Amino acid sequence: MNVYLLYSDKDHINRDRYYDEKAIVQDLGLTALFSASAREIVMEGGKVKQVQEADPVLEDAMKRVMLVPLETEQEILYRQEIVKDCLEQEDFIRGLYELSGEALECWEKLGRRASQRTGTKDSARSLITEVHVMRLFVTYLKKIKELFREYSGKLHSEGLVGMAERLEQAFGPEREAGLENILKAVAFYADKKEGEGYGESRLVNKPRIVLSCGLGEGLKPDGIRLQALETQRKKRRDPNSTLGRAQDYFSSRITDSFSVRKGMALPSQTAEMEYEIVRYVINFCQPFFDEFSSFFDRLRFQAAFYRGAVNLKHCMERFGVPYCYPKAAGPEELRFQDLKEFVMCLGQRANPVGNTCEISGSTLLVVTGANQGGKSTFLRSIGVAQVMMQCGLPVTALNYESGIFPSLFTHFTRREDSEMNSGRLDEELGRMSRIVDHLGPASLVLLNESFASTTEKEGAVIAYDVVRALTEAGVKVLTVTHLLSFAQRVFQEAQSGEAGWRAEFLSAQRTQDGRRTYKMIPHAPELTSFGLDLYDEIIGKDENN
Amino acid sequence: MRDKNRENSHNWQVTEMENTTDLRFSTEFVSILDPEESPYRDEARPPFFWDLNLDRIVERIQALWQREVASFYYYLPANGACEDYRREVFGDVKNSGAYEGLCRFVERMEEHSRLRENKEKVHLDLQKSFLHVQEAFVYCQALAALAQVLEPLKLSSQGMRAFRETLCRYLDSPEFKGLQETARELISEIGRVRLTVTYENDRITVTPGETAGAYDTFLMQCFPGQNVRMHGPFSLSADLSELEQELLGLVRKQNPEIFENAERFCRSFPDYEKEVFLRFASEIQYYLSFYGFEQEMGQQGFCFAAPRVGEDVPMEAEGLYDLALACVRASQGLKVVSNDMFYGADERFFVLTGPNQGGKTTFARSLGQLVYFAKMGLDVPARKAGLGHFGGLLTHFSVEESVETGRGKLKEELVRLAPMMRDACAGAFVVINELFTTAANYDACIMGKRVLEHFLKSGCRGIYVTHLRELSKEGHGIVSLRAMLDENGRQSFRIMRCPAEESAGAAQQAGRHGLTYEQLRERLQ
Repeated sequence: MNVYLLYSDKDHINRDRYYDEKAIVQDLGLTALFSASAREIVMEGGKVKQVQEADPVLEDAMKRVMLVPLETEQEILYRQEIVKDCLEQEDFIRGLYELSGEALECWEKLGRRASQRTGTKDSARSLITEVHVMRLFVTYLKKIKELFREYSGKLHSEGLVGMAERLEQAFGPEREAGLENILKAVAFYADKKEGEGYGESRLVNKPRIVLSCGLGEGLKPDGIRLQALETQRKKRRDPNSTLGRAQDYFSSRITDSFSVRKGMALPSQTAEMEYEIVRYVINFCQPFFDEFSSFFDRLRFQAAFYRGAVNLKHCMERFGVPYCYPKAAGPEELRFQDLKEFVMCLGQRANPVGNTCEISGSTLLVVTGANQGGKSTFLRSIGVAQVMMQCGLPVTALNYESGIFPSLFTHFTRREDSEMNSGRLDEELGRMSRIVDHLGPASLVLLNESFASTTEKEGAVIAYDVVRALTEAGVKVLTVTHLLSFAQRVFQEAQSGEAGWRAEFLSAQRTQDGRRTYKMIPHAPELTSFGLDLYDEIIGKDENN
Repeated sequence: MRDKNRENSHNWQVTEMENTTDLRFSTEFVSILDPEESPYRDEARPPFFWDLNLDRIVERIQALWQREVASFYYYLPANGACEDYRREVFGDVKNSGAYEGLCRFVERMEEHSRLRENKEKVHLDLQKSFLHVQEAFVYCQALAALAQVLEPLKLSSQGMRAFRETLCRYLDSPEFKGLQETARELISEIGRVRLTVTYENDRITVTPGETAGAYDTFLMQCFPGQNVRMHGPFSLSADLSELEQELLGLVRKQNPEIFENAERFCRSFPDYEKEVFLRFASEIQYYLSFYGFEQEMGQQGFCFAAPRVGEDVPMEAEGLYDLALACVRASQGLKVVSNDMFYGADERFFVLTGPNQGGKTTFARSLGQLVYFAKMGLDVPARKAGLGHFGGLLTHFSVEESVETGRGKLKEELVRLAPMMRDACAGAFVVINELFTTAANYDACIMGKRVLEHFLKSGCRGIYVTHLRELSKEGHGIVSLRAMLDENGRQSFRIMRCPAEESAGAAQQAGRHGLTYEQLRERLQ
């Protein structure tokens, strides 16, 4: 059965992750976000009582879902609706996630891995396990169905309502009854070892099997049909007791029959027959196993994402950060109000300064200005919001509207690059070139202090060429740069209408007294980034030495 | 039921009396592979098998046929008459419409021998007797069905006609009729037995007839479309387990006549099979397997031809190709290059030169294969072909230096060559591929010429692939062939009548790699 909680039409995320997801995770600091989503915050009286250990399953699921971008507005809306349902009915998603987890744990205990790893040496034991697994599936499917019924009026999203319907269909009353009948019939086999009744009642599970057949090759029974199968509660009988022997004797006088308890071979051959018949019955149930064998895995994985969303919401509430459901807009739009850098908020456990931005009809955004002025944070806040939006999560802003960019790239200067064996510029250019190889139709490139590892003059030329080529090819570029001659050249050309630039220019705000507000304001690039003082102070002096 | 049985046993008395007649069939028709009484031999692979890559072809044939037939391909006809005999039979297999019927026959006989093996494997006499009945029944069905297929056909080969005659006469004999009738009756009696086995409270009860409870129908309703077969549920071996024996003890008690009849059948017809039909069922697979292979290759666009063979037929072929290479290529969906060739009236030996990897060895192999398959009475890998009878097929391909023998390559070659030259029976077809490559040029030329002279004198035909241009000087029955390059200097794998030429120039070699000035300019544009 399909779960379809992440996409309306598929269960497997077989789509590409972000190219160079490693860079995105590193540049945007997403690890903190994954880990926050995996921790439950226990509140008490409006205060945080406890932050629980990270749930590795949640963390892993979150990471895997977040790094595969959605591609259309419909896909985003589909998830947002489910997120809304889950944030409103937290206990529902908690229950769904826990039930699927429990089912998987029980399965694990029944030896799921062991039976998957080695074939099976002990076929009887593995058959017993199969019966137990089947019983487990039936039990948990009933519970999950129950959970959905309990919340039936309170869930509105297409995804959850649809899943409830699919579950009723794939595991409807008829199928449920059929499976329970089968489980009852084979109970003698699966619960053989549970020797209840040794003491008081002395009743045990025994099979009643009726076969009809003809004579085949070499007199072997052939054309066998199973006419009846049931489990009966019968008295335990000792074949060697006087009473037992007397019963045998009389029974064989009355009917053409024999006891299977006598001799060495008969008991084991009868056991084999029991095995084959139960095996036959269970093999019929293969479609049920096929239908649900990966269901619980998929359900837990997909429910985990929404479970994680609940945790993230609690984080936002804890730090007083408002959130909204972002809207998809055209690729040249970028509008938001009071956008906070969520990762920084998680790291500093505080409510950071928000930014507001109103851009439309532009393919390029150039941010310049004071060092330590919040430029990089600003760029990252957009990156993080973009990733969250593109996986269906809410975003930490009053509102957020942007294009959808499945091809999202970050190109940040790396302060310390360990794998580097060629020069830094070489490495940067290499990264850039790989990005160019992977650019798609809807691409967004975040450049943070790119090409800083060479002289300003050279860096500016490279930046100009790259940015111009990219934007002309329809790629959206957001760049934070201190390459002022590059920024100014673009600004002047844009002013005079040269080269077809459609660019916006922001700058980190700096008050008269040099204080930084960490706000970005529309501003023409200035020739100084006010870091020169700093430079002179530290490096200039060193050079003079 | 009782009355009918008595009637049966009455019939059997007659059959038992007549059962002693007519064992003469074996004197008329013996083998579909050989018109003469030839010993049924376990042949070793002929030495040329590896050189011509025939082992790969036979492997492919066997893989398609899925039964052991390889040894038939090692068994070469002793003379021209036997070659013709086979060719005619193969013609009938292909063209008379008998192919499908023969395949069915082989399948039935396979079932028959499977039952017989089963009979030998099981331990209980009771089972043996039932298997004997079932086995005899399949045997009768197989022969009767084959006769029905063959009777209306227009057969032209001596082999198939003789076989059909033998078969029909046998089927008309009272011996066979008695066998067939009694087996059929007994089988249908056995088929009618149904019983119900109830296992409950540690006892198993057997009652005659069918009980309907239909748990399996319930399962099928639960999971529609599931096709589950019950494994067992009793023992899986051919033998009866103790449990089954207990069951059958009760069945016997309930149906005593059937068991008696089966035992009587075994006494009446202990050895009913005729060797000649068993042998036919085995040997006919030689033709069937090849025809099956031929059709498979045909679907991939590789053609075969029935060669014209006779003493005065000139040796020639159109569209001749290396069948072993074709087997490999076919699996990759690729084609092979084919060539035309002929030997003029006085021409005895081709000397083939040309660039490396130019298709020389492939061409030599295809010639060898032509001779082999013609000799085997089968179709040849060509569009059209004709040739004479050859006394034998000799090949010598250079091999990697053998570490085990410790001999140098030259010595190795000579050691392998010596017996060929000594025994070179007159009129053999000889394929030689690159002799004496490690010897000095001067020596190699002289030795090569001597070898050629020798085979020419022995009245052989053949092909000699070499890098020595000196050997290709025409005259004395020698024709020079060359592997050609195309206009771009690449291998074309075409073989033409053409004098040998100087080694390929450097420019050509560069061209092959796309490295001439013009090519480079184009590539770097």
